[in-house]
Amino acid sequence: MPTTSAEARTAVYLRKIIYVLALLLIAAVFITPYLFAVLASFKPLGEIQSGHAWNLPRHFTFDNFTTIFSQYSFGTYLLNTAVVTIILTIGQVAFSLMGAYAFARLRFPGRDALFWGYLAMLMVPNVVTMIPLYVMMSKAGLINTYWVMILPYVFGTPYAIFLMRQYLLSIPGEVIEAARLDGCSEFTILRRVIVPMARPVIITATIIAIIFGWNNFLWPLISTDSAAVQPLTVGIANFNSSFAQQWNLVLAASLVALLPMVILFAVFQKHIVNSVNLTGASR
Amino acid sequence: MKRRDFLKLSGLGATVMGATALTGCSAQGWGLPASNGGRAELTYALWDPNQQKGYQKSIDVFMKLNPHIRVTIEQVSYGNYQQKITQQYISGNAPDVFWVNTPWIGDWVVGGVMADITSRIAHAGLDLSIYNPDLLRLHQYQGKTFGLPKDWDTIAFFTNATHLAKCGFSKVPTDLAWNPKDGGSYLHFLKQITLDTKGRNALDPKFDPGSIAVYGTAATNDIQGCFGNFFAMNGGAVLPHPYAAESVLDSPQNVATLTFLTQMLQGAHVAIPGNQTGPNGDSTNLQTLFASGHIALWQTGDWNATGVSQLSGFKIGAMPLPTGPKGRISVLNGLCDGIAANTPHPQEAWKLVKWLGSKQSQEIMGQGGYIWPAIVDLDPAFNRYWRRKGLDMSPFLAESRGQTVNFPVASGMQEALNDLTVALGPAFLRTRSPAAALRAAQRIFDYRISYNAPKG
Amino acid sequence: MSVLAATKRGQRSGGDDEIQRKHAVTERRLAFGLLAPSLFGVGVFLLIPVLLVFAFSFIRWNMLNSPDFVGFDNYLDAFRFEGAGHALLITTIYVLLNIPAQTVLALGMAWLMNRPGRFTAVIRVLCVLPYLATPVAMALIWQWIFNPTTGVVNVMLSWVGISGPAWLNSSFWALPVVAFANIWQYVGYNMLFFLAGLQGIPHTLYEAASLDGAGRWQQFKSITMPLLRPTLFFVLVTGAIGSFQVFDTVYVMTNGGPGRATTVMNQLIYENGFVGFRIGTASALSVILFLVILAVTLVQSSYFNKRTTYEMV
Repeated sequence: MPTTSAEARTAVYLRKIIYVLALLLIAAVFITPYLFAVLASFKPLGEIQSGHAWNLPRHFTFDNFTTIFSQYSFGTYLLNTAVVTIILTIGQVAFSLMGAYAFARLRFPGRDALFWGYLAMLMVPNVVTMIPLYVMMSKAGLINTYWVMILPYVFGTPYAIFLMRQYLLSIPGEVIEAARLDGCSEFTILRRVIVPMARPVIITATIIAIIFGWNNFLWPLISTDSAAVQPLTVGIANFNSSFAQQWNLVLAASLVALLPMVILFAVFQKHIVNSVNLTGASR
Repeated sequence: MKRRDFLKLSGLGATVMGATALTGCSAQGWGLPASNGGRAELTYALWDPNQQKGYQKSIDVFMKLNPHIRVTIEQVSYGNYQQKITQQYISGNAPDVFWVNTPWIGDWVVGGVMADITSRIAHAGLDLSIYNPDLLRLHQYQGKTFGLPKDWDTIAFFTNATHLAKCGFSKVPTDLAWNPKDGGSYLHFLKQITLDTKGRNALDPKFDPGSIAVYGTAATNDIQGCFGNFFAMNGGAVLPHPYAAESVLDSPQNVATLTFLTQMLQGAHVAIPGNQTGPNGDSTNLQTLFASGHIALWQTGDWNATGVSQLSGFKIGAMPLPTGPKGRISVLNGLCDGIAANTPHPQEAWKLVKWLGSKQSQEIMGQGGYIWPAIVDLDPAFNRYWRRKGLDMSPFLAESRGQTVNFPVASGMQEALNDLTVALGPAFLRTRSPAAALRAAQRIFDYRISYNAPKG
Repeated sequence: MSVLAATKRGQRSGGDDEIQRKHAVTERRLAFGLLAPSLFGVGVFLLIPVLLVFAFSFIRWNMLNSPDFVGFDNYLDAFRFEGAGHALLITTIYVLLNIPAQTVLALGMAWLMNRPGRFTAVIRVLCVLPYLATPVAMALIWQWIFNPTTGVVNVMLSWVGISGPAWLNSSFWALPVVAFANIWQYVGYNMLFFLAGLQGIPHTLYEAASLDGAGRWQQFKSITMPLLRPTLFFVLVTGAIGSFQVFDTVYVMTNGGPGRATTVMNQLIYENGFVGFRIGTASALSVILFLVILAVTLVQSSYFNKRTTYEMV
């Protein structure tokens, strides 16, 4: 315990310095990987090999990006990922919302049992379903198509339903009752009352779906085998195994995948941070 | 759902699909067949970029003779070749014609991935006697043929002729013999060409095994390049017959042979230690060791002719394998072109395969020095090409006409070979007895080849 | 919930029975309609595969030939020949490298950032961005940063005279580097959970404690930790479940190597199922992994259930 006020002030001052240093260290650890990668992606290979990662490009060039787009199908990969992610997200959010509403606000026999059944499916790790899904998709002739990357996820997921149901439960019943008394059909209630009030959780679920779809790797890796269909993640991994030492191209490729996610984050940063409260972890 | 909303959503969906279809390649994304304007488009998969040049020449001629067929060569890396082709076959878009190497042919034949061309051969009246009969058998199963041989390779030595001359051998000996008891004249010869840093050879009583400048050779964990040959020469084998579900790796003859290769040769300091030749004592580093003059004899296949001809610093020669107790036996292997059983263009694919197996195509490949053509008559062309470059490949040719043993064929062979290398590694690194290593090797080898083995 | 609404409705008038019943039927039909898509999705793409994977684990099949029933052979051979035991070991080591460090760091960072200020707000945001960063893409960047000869890490180590190890090519360091990449990715997001938890603890508790003479560490031990237990539980369980299934970073950075030093279970399943096309063995390995994850989750749950109080003073 500090005794004199001078000692107390030094102690506080020291603590402040350590605190600032810790924050700076954390900031460095979290910024530098992107920073270095961005700098490197605009340098020719020679400069990357001979210089330091933090040097600004001396021969600033867009060549790395033009090369991977024109010679190595990255435009196709980008398109594939976008198509799959958008469709998957729209379906997943819409259908999950529908299911969540049914669980939260409608009464029907077996509702709670069914909900617990959905929750039980949450426990199943992804890897368990992978092989049978592959066999099923293969027999259906859907391997190496957009369908195979969309179908398993587009009809709603237990996690999204759980998330949205929790939120819908907190919507005061009077609003819905009033709408019902006014003679609105359930669909109108869903559209005009629920959706606007559930905007936060809908946005959260949308972000989760986009992140999942954009970053999905293992399933597309095993279920697609031609560049015409493969998404960015698979394209990047294949590119890496053939061109591992060509850092200028490899890093440019990884940035192509990261940039949309960074933009997404920048736009929806508040929602992502707040989503933590929605998952009710600190119950 | 209200009709308006449904229509709006469907409209959105159709727009997305349409927009992506406009980019052309996405037609495949939605599973729709792509149009190709009346021509048959074939894909031909291979892995060797050097040979690709020769094949492009041959295929250019083919396309001139068959204007309604277009062939695109696709290079797939060797490391995941089997996986890629199998995966594409399962999804229905395998290359129409593809190179087939022996470790994979077992799985592909048993699994129905390769088309049975027996009746096509009969129909076309092809004369199969133009091929080496052992080579033909490599691609046959239960009396059916699945590929026409297109090249072959045997194993012999590339020699550092300059070094051999320095040791008193201006001409390579062709009558060396080895045996598991005392190494025979082969061991004696190796001792004569193994020199320490002071220039003394291994027969010299003052020979310093601690500072060896040049080793005679390397005996490596390489079934095709090294021990497969020696196993056969001592009366042992890997498989009792093709497509077996059990191996005969752990036999007294093989134990004796492996002891000769790992204990006797390395113990006499004429073979470079296993930890320098590659992981698990395999032959990864042999080309580098030979090029830098650390080994005088490089035991390998003739596919390395191109690589060896680009070396400078010493003269290169070739020497046949030594004779063993059962004679001089080399592993014989060869590729064939397989047709995907579910190709949408079976007629055109067969036309291409017929062409690639024909004299005209193989002449182009042979004359360019790319490969030994499978057609026996054309062998001299390959030999002539390399003679002109100062490399005498006759030992390889002579062996192909002598006793050979086919590269082992069975389902699951590629992974069996991978695991075999890991299991035998300690023997070549001299950390485990050959007997124990072979016993462990047989256990996992048999697991692999029996996993999908055909019944009966 | 609609309990209030139901009661209100009941209070209206007895003659509404007919309307009530009709409404109930409509509600059921509506519920079915709303649930139909997700029922289809969960049934076809989750439930059926879970049942199938158990069935597949008892056959030998490579998608090309006809399947054979082999009983428990796949499970036995998974350990005898396919290296399942080793893969489980590697996966467990990975989880132990990853989760404790990640949790402690997340908690520490939350503690640090739990005060207002633009600076901390910016850094908070920065820490969360990795959560979205495509793991495959980040793996490439890490591969470059940890390159033994030209990577930033070894270059900076050489300034202080340390000759850096071969990182991803070293059978000792490869797994920690993969764990680091994973920690980097998720520690920020986990920090948010702890932040929310910390902010849910009323100041009055701390004030009362310091009036009683408790130091900062004492306060942390007796107030913060117990009340953070639910958050801790959540972070640990989800972290463990996720870690046991790591694949992306391993496949891209090391492909299970060097040797088998980073062959985690998911990598082994991938190799068996989609390189070797051994459907049966890969299914058996999946079941094994599933059971391991289940066991770990149950153990963690029972541990926390015994020790967690939700009461607040």
